[in-house]
Amino acid sequence: MTVVPVTVSATEVRLGDRLRARSGAELTVTRIDTEFMGRADMLAFVEDSEEQWFKMPALRDGDVELIGRDDAVD
Amino acid sequence: MVAEGLIGIDGRGIDPGVLDGKAVLVVNVASRCGLTPQYEGLERLQERYGPAGFTVLGVPCNQFAGQEPGTPEEIQQFCSTTYGASFPLTEKLEVNGRHRHALYERLTAVPDADGQAGEVEWNFEKFLISPAGEVVARFRPAVEPEDAEVIGAIERVLR
Repeated sequence: MTVVPVTVSATEVRLGDRLRARSGAELTVTRIDTEFMGRADMLAFVEDSEEQWFKMPALRDGDVELIGRDDAVD
Repeated sequence: MVAEGLIGIDGRGIDPGVLDGKAVLVVNVASRCGLTPQYEGLERLQERYGPAGFTVLGVPCNQFAGQEPGTPEEIQQFCSTTYGASFPLTEKLEVNGRHRHALYERLTAVPDADGQAGEVEWNFEKFLISPAGEVVARFRPAVEPEDAEVIGAIERVLR
């Protein structure tokens, strides 16, 4: 698992990635919604797990903070 | 019926008399969201229809980008100081996922105007419960509290 925080394009996020929201909250992406509140220029990253349900939207052409990635799936 | 199992923001059980037998607009709220100014419209609904047997019920929730991170005291103070909110608030609840509160199990089974049921989309989604306890309408977050659709639904259940 990569642990050094890096900024990546929202469109590069993959299932299993660990992200940090601007609030400081963190999520492990288990679902990627291809639009947010009817806006096709936005994505939404969702963790729906036993640990938590959490949603974080992002502009499709924006960046997000990646704090973990399972390198085994590269 | 609506109040069953609900704890208020002050940590005490919500008095059933505050909700039961009333039309209740249940709204998941957050203090740091772009939609937070909807508190103004919610408070105006409370003032306009409260005397007729209506209440807003605010449900603080931190599941959407962590935009409701505060303590109960901070949330309560924010609502009353910034927006003069006089309607009741619950404790912080989960509205989606495997640990969602029983109230939201019931609410999220109800479809919106487009026929879509399921997860709460974002902060400030609204559900209208009739005085008889039936969930009669669901409005997505972008629908303003004083939208004609919301007003019409409230007035219909208060007739």
